[in-house]
Amino acid sequence: MPVTPSPYHRLNPLTKAVIATVGSIGAFVLGGYVGPIAIMVIMLLLAWRAGVLARLARVSLLLTLPIAISVVLVSVFTRAGTTVLFQIGPFDATAEGVDFALQTLVRLFAISLSIGLFIMTTEPRAFVFDLERRGVPPRAAFIAVATIEAVPTLVERATMISESQRARGLDTEGSFLTRVRGLLPIVGPVIIGSLTDVEERSLALESRAFSRPGRRHLLWAMPDEGWERVLRWVLFVLLVGAAVARLTGRI
Amino acid sequence: MTRLDLEGVGFVYPDGTRALDGVDLTIGAGESVAIVGQNGSGKSTLVRHFNGLLRPTDGRILHDGEDVADVRTAALAARVGIVFQNPDRQIFAGKVRTEVAFGPKTLGRSATDIEAATRDALAAVGLSDAADANPYDLGYSRRKLLTIASVLAMGTPVVVLDEPTTGQDARGVARVQQVLAGLVADGRTVIAISHDMRFVAGSFSRIVVMGGGRILLDGPPAEVFAEPAWPVLASSYLEPPYAARVGARLALGSTPTETALVEALAARG
Ligand SMILES: Nc1ncnc2c1ncn2[C@@H]1O[C@H](COP(=O)(O)OP(=O)(O)O)[C@@H](O)[C@H]1O
Ligand SMILES: [Mg+2]
Repeated sequence: MPVTPSPYHRLNPLTKAVIATVGSIGAFVLGGYVGPIAIMVIMLLLAWRAGVLARLARVSLLLTLPIAISVVLVSVFTRAGTTVLFQIGPFDATAEGVDFALQTLVRLFAISLSIGLFIMTTEPRAFVFDLERRGVPPRAAFIAVATIEAVPTLVERATMISESQRARGLDTEGSFLTRVRGLLPIVGPVIIGSLTDVEERSLALESRAFSRPGRRHLLWAMPDEGWERVLRWVLFVLLVGAAVARLTGRI
Repeated sequence: MTRLDLEGVGFVYPDGTRALDGVDLTIGAGESVAIVGQNGSGKSTLVRHFNGLLRPTDGRILHDGEDVADVRTAALAARVGIVFQNPDRQIFAGKVRTEVAFGPKTLGRSATDIEAATRDALAAVGLSDAADANPYDLGYSRRKLLTIASVLAMGTPVVVLDEPTTGQDARGVARVQQVLAGLVADGRTVIAISHDMRFVAGSFSRIVVMGGGRILLDGPPAEVFAEPAWPVLASSYLEPPYAARVGARLALGSTPTETALVEALAARG
């Protein structure tokens, strides 16, 4: 967190959580190109205002790229379609496949930018306080926060384990297949490791008396301006509207 | 046998942090070298260049006189084994034996070789009784020894250890010292990063002091810990070992280890 947080950092945590949720579910619901790209642009603009543009772009690329590459390969070559663009071996790349892959890509990026922006601009403890203040059971609030806090550690752990395996001769350079094979052995430990992390973190939060019943001091003022409440409802209504429009085939 | 040469090596992380700046360093086959320096001085970055985990942004790295820029890490790993600092960011297998066998296996050794290497490596670090345990049931000190065994099992001519004694209990430190001595006796090159000046002075014949991505001092313990070098050590927030300070106070010359101190005292009579 920067020393002087931007106005975006200072928004109420719930407002930022709603922006992230509406952004990611919105990208998913809308599909196509216009919606997800609009969401991407909005998130990037917000990130720029918050001073985390470069970091968000990098992290979101890092997180999305492995999934993106596999999605593109699989969908470009396996999607049935009539317009064959080119062939590699026995596989046809169809225009339909490429279209599907691109649509999936913009969705993925919109989702990772939305979630990444929230994580980068929100102090987890502020989010817990705010959730608790709104009557969310403390335990549920911990788990939410412990999970969010675990994301950066998860990325670091994955990097380190893969580094140590490369140091022990695992070949991860070279072809796409070699790379994927290199990733497989770390999936298990990374997931198990981050589960342990979440558990440890919620214990740590707990031992810092987060679950003690009764009122506590808020260590800092938690603004929740009237306009933020309005904004949250507007976003929520927009999301529901988009979902309805989508389901009824209007967009 | 592998000789390592670094020629004018510089490294800048993608975020613009310059971690290494014009490093010239030759480590001959069979040497035992300790790398010391304050946090962030570039020690870990430096050793990640030895097996190609990081590639220099300036200068070049040679193994036995041959530039390794185009050699894959997977191939360099057969020559240089690196044990990283944090055991919990390396161990991935559900069983101690599997973790140790991973290296020799990826290097393509035969089944009998893998088994023998695993057994010997576990014995060397005193973990034979834990071969079938889950790594996460071991205490921190033993998990750290497990990561050392995982690299020993590869039988690389060069073994690098990033802070092998940090977080170890006294028994663990003694075990690490014993393993290092065994490697040196075997004629293998041992390179260790450490913050423990006493350990460094007692177990290595050469000490490289880093600061701000550069090499500040490079020589035997008696030279690096001699009083004239203290201001340089201080500039990297390092303190000479206790024995060296006592020896200097008593005007006994450079006595980096307790043994050296006792000998100097005896010689003075
Ligand atoms: N992955 C990284 N990305 C950016 N900067 C890094 C990274 N790893 C280390 N650094 C920076 O490079 C410098 C040297 O770090 P490092 O080699 O880890 O030092 P040491 O091991 O001596 O503590 C430090 O300024 C550190 O912050
Ligand atoms: Mg380090």
